[in-house]
Amino acid sequence: MGNQSDNDSLLEMFVFETTQYLERLEELILSNEKSNCYTQTVIGEIFRIMHNIKSSSAMMLLTDISKLAHAMEDFFFFVREEKPKGIDYSVLSDFILEGVDFIKVELQKIKNGDTTDGDPAPLIKNIKEYLVLIKKQNNSTKLMRAKKTTKEQQSDDLRQEQKTLLPEANAFKAVIYFQEGCEMENIRAYQVVHQLKGLASEIYYLPDDLVENNDSVQIIREQGFEVFFKSEQTYQQILAFCNQNILFKELELIQLENDDEFKQFTISDKVDLDKVNKIKLEEFSAEMPQLQEKTSEKDVSLVIRQSIIGVNVDKLDKLMDLVGEMVIAEAMVTQHPELKGLELDNFNKAARQLRKIINEVQNFVMSMRMVPLVTTFQKMYRVVRDMSKKLNKEVELEIIGGETEVDKNIIEHVSDPLLHLVRNAIDHGLESPAERRKKGKAEAGKITLEARSAGNDVLIVVRDNGKGLNKEKLMKQAKKKGLLRKQEHEMTEREIYNLILVPGFSTKEQTTEFSGRGVGMDVVTNNVEKMGGDVLVDSVPDEGTTITLKIPLTLTIIDGMNISVGEACYTIPINTIKECFKPKETEIIMDLDGNEMIMVRGQCFPIVRLYQLYQVKTEITCLTDGILMMVENNEKMLCLFVDKLLGEQQVVVKTLPSFIGSTIKKKGLVGCTLLGDGSISLILDVAGFF
Amino acid sequence: MKRVLIVDDAAFMRLTLKNILVKNGFEVIGEAVNGAMGVSMYKELHPDIVTMDITMPEMTGLEALKEIKTYDPNAKIVMISAMGQGSMVMEAVEAGAKTFIVKPFKEDYVVEVLTKISTM
Repeated sequence: MGNQSDNDSLLEMFVFETTQYLERLEELILSNEKSNCYTQTVIGEIFRIMHNIKSSSAMMLLTDISKLAHAMEDFFFFVREEKPKGIDYSVLSDFILEGVDFIKVELQKIKNGDTTDGDPAPLIKNIKEYLVLIKKQNNSTKLMRAKKTTKEQQSDDLRQEQKTLLPEANAFKAVIYFQEGCEMENIRAYQVVHQLKGLASEIYYLPDDLVENNDSVQIIREQGFEVFFKSEQTYQQILAFCNQNILFKELELIQLENDDEFKQFTISDKVDLDKVNKIKLEEFSAEMPQLQEKTSEKDVSLVIRQSIIGVNVDKLDKLMDLVGEMVIAEAMVTQHPELKGLELDNFNKAARQLRKIINEVQNFVMSMRMVPLVTTFQKMYRVVRDMSKKLNKEVELEIIGGETEVDKNIIEHVSDPLLHLVRNAIDHGLESPAERRKKGKAEAGKITLEARSAGNDVLIVVRDNGKGLNKEKLMKQAKKKGLLRKQEHEMTEREIYNLILVPGFSTKEQTTEFSGRGVGMDVVTNNVEKMGGDVLVDSVPDEGTTITLKIPLTLTIIDGMNISVGEACYTIPINTIKECFKPKETEIIMDLDGNEMIMVRGQCFPIVRLYQLYQVKTEITCLTDGILMMVENNEKMLCLFVDKLLGEQQVVVKTLPSFIGSTIKKKGLVGCTLLGDGSISLILDVAGFF
Repeated sequence: MKRVLIVDDAAFMRLTLKNILVKNGFEVIGEAVNGAMGVSMYKELHPDIVTMDITMPEMTGLEALKEIKTYDPNAKIVMISAMGQGSMVMEAVEAGAKTFIVKPFKEDYVVEVLTKISTM
């Protein structure tokens, strides 16, 4: 269907929407699983989701997904309509979650451009078998329903006898073939009959059991749909009427001399549409109270117009880039070298106005990219559920501050570390129920996920109330692996805990399915540091472990301090700078290895000479001529020696081109930016100096 | 140009239909995500044709169909149905739906149906 670009956007939409559906499904199932019963609304929603997935994937020719969704839809249709008893909802939840996982995997394949080759047959079989089982268990209710219909049938017959014939009307016979592939021919035939009702007085048709008999579709396809009716209209009028119907492939309309052919229909075959309508209404009225309830809520939602639209993330990224360019361009204009020394009061006024607006635009664009963390957090419910089942630990998950918003790009980087931390907490952090009982704790362990903003950072906290970290064990392990960089007795508590973040460190001897596959917490650290964030570890024995991820709100525009070393220019993120000062001769000391240190308020800090580090020529080599800038990372500090401060500015972080990026990354460079005068400044990552 | 209102809770379906319609000279004047919204948008926009999904939250396509039909008996509404929703489609037909399209549908088919409907 359609051209390529159409298809691409459709596929994108399909993947996007289906992913949302799956997330919603997980959410629904996990939040209802505990109560071991689904409310009617939840069942309705699951049914709808499955229904939509079925249809959409069928449109995309993904038959496997469609079939699977269909099987689940059927199941929930049955549950919704029959309200059967005796469903083991935890079994059902497992089925659905397995299905959700299957579709997820297939979606991922689609995203990667691979062929979808998963086989849902076993899943479908499970669901169908379970449906059969449930149906069997609930046979009794079905019987009652069947009885009811026969009773209606009888009253039907009675009505039909009362109907009188109109002898003066014209008799017609029509044979109708529908277009191939229009589907549901029986209903289409029914529609014809329904429309004829207004014109004709007596209607008979073959096959006569349109709706009840599944074969009727096939009969109509092969032999056509025959209708006999009487009407006071002329042949032309009837023909015109029939031609209105849009999906006829062939229509044969014959005016009959007499109504002999009508005789083949016994009285009971006669259709009485009014009656049919009535029965339908009765059936329907059973559901009516529910519907009415709904209507009252509906009135409220009527007012709500569509106020949210989906925007492609690429476009947002591009917009952010453009805003970045605008920030640079603004600096280029207002700080243009040619303006130097001129008195430009009105220009400056206008420039200030421009800066103000640009600032607003920038804030707005950034806020557009903000996504609440709650969906990321909620994914953890599933992890917790699966793990607690497998490990036989009871785990409760608490989410605090899920409404905290962070940049879309950050969300993507956060999910993996979070997943790792939660797995770790359940697997290593929480004790087994028996152990917990012995310690006098509640049997169910508790994991808390918390998000809150602190200035320009977002703090994401993963807390468990398990056994806590064992300092001796940590030290022993670190020594064994040769990871200690300091004397044992010199290490602070925090430094010891931070050992778990060091690559290659893992205390668990045995690896389990969930955590500790050779990769340790360093994955978390790497991911978080990529975003310019920090990981903090805190622990109290037998009370639990808290791991905090400190992540900057946004990645692309930072407040920076521009400094110069020789002719080179560098930018340092303001939030890492503690203070800047001119050192005095007396404060400078050398340690035994010849490392320079400076004493500030009774504490010693190492000095890093930037010109030496980057081999830049400068005339300022004496510490007292330049400026020392104290920077902090992870509660550690050092002083950078620079020539002079150029000023504070918002800068747009551009990644270093890959051909230089890989060679100089280690030295603490994270990116570059364009300054107002058009020169390039390198952005320093303070963490790289430690 | 015929003005069409699409009512469907699945964004994917709306996009699919919209692509088909726009490419074939229809104007999609609105998209509603549930029956209730469909009704209110119908009253506001008076489209020539409505495509109506059946299974939707808030208000099903059937209810919306009935409500629109009460408001405007001449409304041209095409139901979009999946296989196996026979009884609902029947009800829709009785309630005055012009015809129905079965998912998964083909582009030609949708265009043909809507073109014919619009000339009726």
